[in-house]
This record gives sequence, structure tokens and C-alpha cells, in this order.
Amino acid sequence: MGLPKAPVLKAVQSWATVAVVLALLWVSAVQTDFNFEALTTGTADFFRFFTRLAPDWRALPEQWQPLIETISIAWLGTVFGSILAFPLIFLASFNTTFNTPVLWVTRSLLTLLRSIPDLLFAAILAPVLVIGPLPGVAALTLFTLAIIAKFGSETVEAIDPGPLEALRAAGATRTQVIVYAVIPQVAATMTSYVLYVFEINVRSSTVLGLVGGGGIGMLLNTYLAFFDYGAIGVLIIVTFAVVILIDQVSNFVRTRLL
Amino acid sequence: MAQPAPVSTVPPRPPRVRRMLVLQYLLVIGLIAITIIAWFSMDLPTFQRVVRGFQTSLMRVINGLLNPDWEILPLAWRSMLETLFMAILGTFLGAVLAFPLSFFGARNLLGSNAASLPGKTVLVGIRTFPEILLALIFVAAAGPGPTAGIMAMGIHSIGFLGKVFADVIEGIDPGPSEAIRASGGNQVQVFLFAVVPQVIPEVMSLVLYRFEINLRNAAVLGMVGAGGIGLPLIQRIQYRLWDEVATLLFMMVAFVIVVDAISSFLRRRLV
Repeated sequence: MGLPKAPVLKAVQSWATVAVVLALLWVSAVQTDFNFEALTTGTADFFRFFTRLAPDWRALPEQWQPLIETISIAWLGTVFGSILAFPLIFLASFNTTFNTPVLWVTRSLLTLLRSIPDLLFAAILAPVLVIGPLPGVAALTLFTLAIIAKFGSETVEAIDPGPLEALRAAGATRTQVIVYAVIPQVAATMTSYVLYVFEINVRSSTVLGLVGGGGIGMLLNTYLAFFDYGAIGVLIIVTFAVVILIDQVSNFVRTRLL
Repeated sequence: MAQPAPVSTVPPRPPRVRRMLVLQYLLVIGLIAITIIAWFSMDLPTFQRVVRGFQTSLMRVINGLLNPDWEILPLAWRSMLETLFMAILGTFLGAVLAFPLSFFGARNLLGSNAASLPGKTVLVGIRTFPEILLALIFVAAAGPGPTAGIMAMGIHSIGFLGKVFADVIEGIDPGPSEAIRASGGNQVQVFLFAVVPQVIPEVMSLVLYRFEINLRNAAVLGMVGAGGIGLPLIQRIQYRLWDEVATLLFMMVAFVIVVDAISSFLRRRLV
């Protein structure tokens, strides 16, 4: 009496899921030599190491220029990437594209671009574009291009089809439909996305220098080579402060936009 | 007879709209100015230097990338598997640590905005700290290897997962919690029997989503020595072995796309 019986199949399913997850974790731990000991000693080492990062503020003056370069890289990557993404957005949306093959080719290209991390782009482009800010800008441009085109096509596909149909019925060309029916509907959302991607790019640009992409990461490489942990402490604090500041400003603008 | 004056069907723009237009133009000019300043604030190489870089490297990079060296496919497969295992453990570690933390960021569990603010702030802090910097610190502190990468991923994932878990908890139906409280249940019972059952499917879906992100990120953690496919990749990039880079890249992209497809299929089943 009392409670109804829980369905058996459901129970079997959830136990099977738990078993599969546990098996995956076990295999992963064995294969990567990860165990509880590694976890505890790793944490202990981490905190012991942290005390060596006590900031040595004499390193501060030399960090301003690379810091500004870092933000410039993020900004330029965002601007160039967004401009290049603009035509791709309409090619990758089913309601504005030419035909299905164009749609799929564009989408596959974007998926391919998105599956390669920006740090890797920077590393590959560094020998071609000279170690420094240019490979960083190029890497973030590619990243921005891929992600803005994806966000953009999702937004464009979700718009109200009414205005599009009205313009088409009145004989408007594809360009006119995009300019007068699509863009007014997506402008605010897209601006907000671009700002959001700028925030991501600021975070990425702080480490691009590790692989030759310019900005403050190159200074970090130098400090690491000289075991200058006090300077690294300053660098981490300064980078963190700038990232949070830009996040807050960008967040404020985004909430005003939508 | 004189021509009738042309009738304008469109009324002139009201002053408010005209002011907005002026503001928009000013904004565009400002943004262009910032872009130009940003470009020249950088430590740019000379034009000749870039041209030389193009001449010496571009064709080699393209040639190498278009002609993958399939001999190192077994190595690529092993490194990518290690990357996968790292992502699994890192995500699990992050989820286990984030779940309890997310309660301190959930407004409805704590009663007020002010009470959830400290938890939310901690989560933002963790999220903002670059993952690769964490990996660098772990490598410097505990030595290179996958463990450093797993720890970095686990810590970094807390920021994202804690926030989205808190959002999910804030979105639950308050009915069951109130019912349990009304019938004399304590806070723990409310949590176990009203909160947890409601959030499980969404939480699992979010963990899977984070796993997809972590798999992509795990590929670069190796570049600072934290295990996975990043290490062989960066080594071959430094030695300019572009044909081998191509094989590793191919393996990485194919692997990520397949795992993404499986993971998003599972996510659709969940929610």
C-alpha cells in the first residue's frame, strides 16, 4: 500500500547511466595516471607555489605597453572578424541564403574554423606573420568570424518572417530584403553578441603571447624563462583587473542595448 | 498650366530621430578612430619583415598542411585519447566542486540578492581567470603532465558550471520546496527531495555542454605542458614540421566534431 511502484525500466536506465559514467571515469583516471593522491598533492603544491607569486610591484611599469597591446589585439580581432562575418551570416541562414549547397558549405567551413582553438591559429600563423601582435590579431579575427557568423545566423533564422515576405511580395531584391527587413530586426542582438565576443577576446589575447601572438603573454613567457615569479604575480593581478573592468563596462552596455 | 508641386509622401524626420542619427554617426566615427589608434598602439613589425615572413613561410605552411604525414596517425590518436580522458576527468572534477558552490549563488535558496552576491562574485572571479594561466601555475607547481591539465580544467570549469547551476536552481518551481517545508521538512530534506530532482536533467545537460568546451580547451592546455595533444602539436609547430601538424590537426578536428555530435545528441535526449 501507499506509494506507487517506480517503473522498473526507468531504474535500470539510470543505473546503467551511472555505471557507464563510472566506467568512463575509471578508464580516464587509469589512462592519465590521475588518482586521489595526485589530487591532494597537486592542490598542496598549488598553494605552496602560490606564496611564491607574491607580487613584486617594480615590474609594473614595463607591463603597461604590453597590456595596451593586448587590448588592441582583442579590439582589432573583434572588429575585423565581425566585418568579415557580416556577409557569411546571411549565407549561413536558411531564410537569406542563395541555395542549400551554399548554406552547407558555409556552415561546414564555420564548424571547421570553430573546432580549431585560437591559440593554435596564433601558433601556426606566428612564423608567417612574424612573432608579435599580427598573428594574435589574425587568430582572433578567425575566431570572431566563426563565432559571430554562427550566432548571427541563429539570430537571423529566428526573426519574424513577416517583413521579409512583405518586401519580397513587393518585388524587393535580396539585398533590399536584408537591409530593410533583416538588419533592423537583428542589429541590437548582434551588437550585444559582438561585445560579448570582445570580452572573450580580451581574455584570449592575454595568453596569445605564450605562442608568439603578441601582447602581455609574451612578457609572461620571458618571466617564466627567468623564474621571475614576483613579476608574474603582478602580471596576473593587473591582467585580472583589466579583464574584470572591461567585462563590467561591456556588460553594462549590453544590458542597456537589449 | 504650371506643374503641380511634387507631393512628398514621406514626412520629414522628427528632431528626436535626427538627433539619434547624428549620435549614431558620431559613434561610428569614434569606433573607427579607436580602431586606428589600436592598430598603431601595437608593436608592429616593419612591412619588409612581414613580406619576408610570407615569402619564407607561407608556401611551406600551406604545402605541409595540405600534405599530412599519415605515419604519425597512431601518435595523434593516442594523444587525442589522452585529451579526451583529461576532458572527462576535468569536467567531472569541475561539476563535483561546482554543485555545492552553486547553492551559495542561488538567490531563491539563500533568501535574498544580498546573500547570493558573495557566491556569485567568487564564481565570476573563477570564470574570468584564464584557464591556460591556471595550467601554467599547475605545471610550474606540480610538474608537467595530464594531472596539471585536469586540475586546471576542473578549477576553471567551476566558474561556468557554478553560475549555470545557480541559474537552473533559481528557475525551479517553488511548490515542492514549500510543500516539504509546510509538512515539517528541514533544509536538507528540502534540498534532497525538492531541489535535486528538479535540476538533475538540466544539470546533466550543462555538464555535457561544458565537456564539449573542455575537450576543445584541453587541446591547447598541452601547449604549456599540461598533457594531451597540445604538446606534440606545439613541438611540431616549433620545428616547422607542417605535414605532421596537419595530421594532428586533422585528428583533433575530426575527434572534436564526432564527440560534439554524440554529446549534443545526448543533450537533446536529456532535456
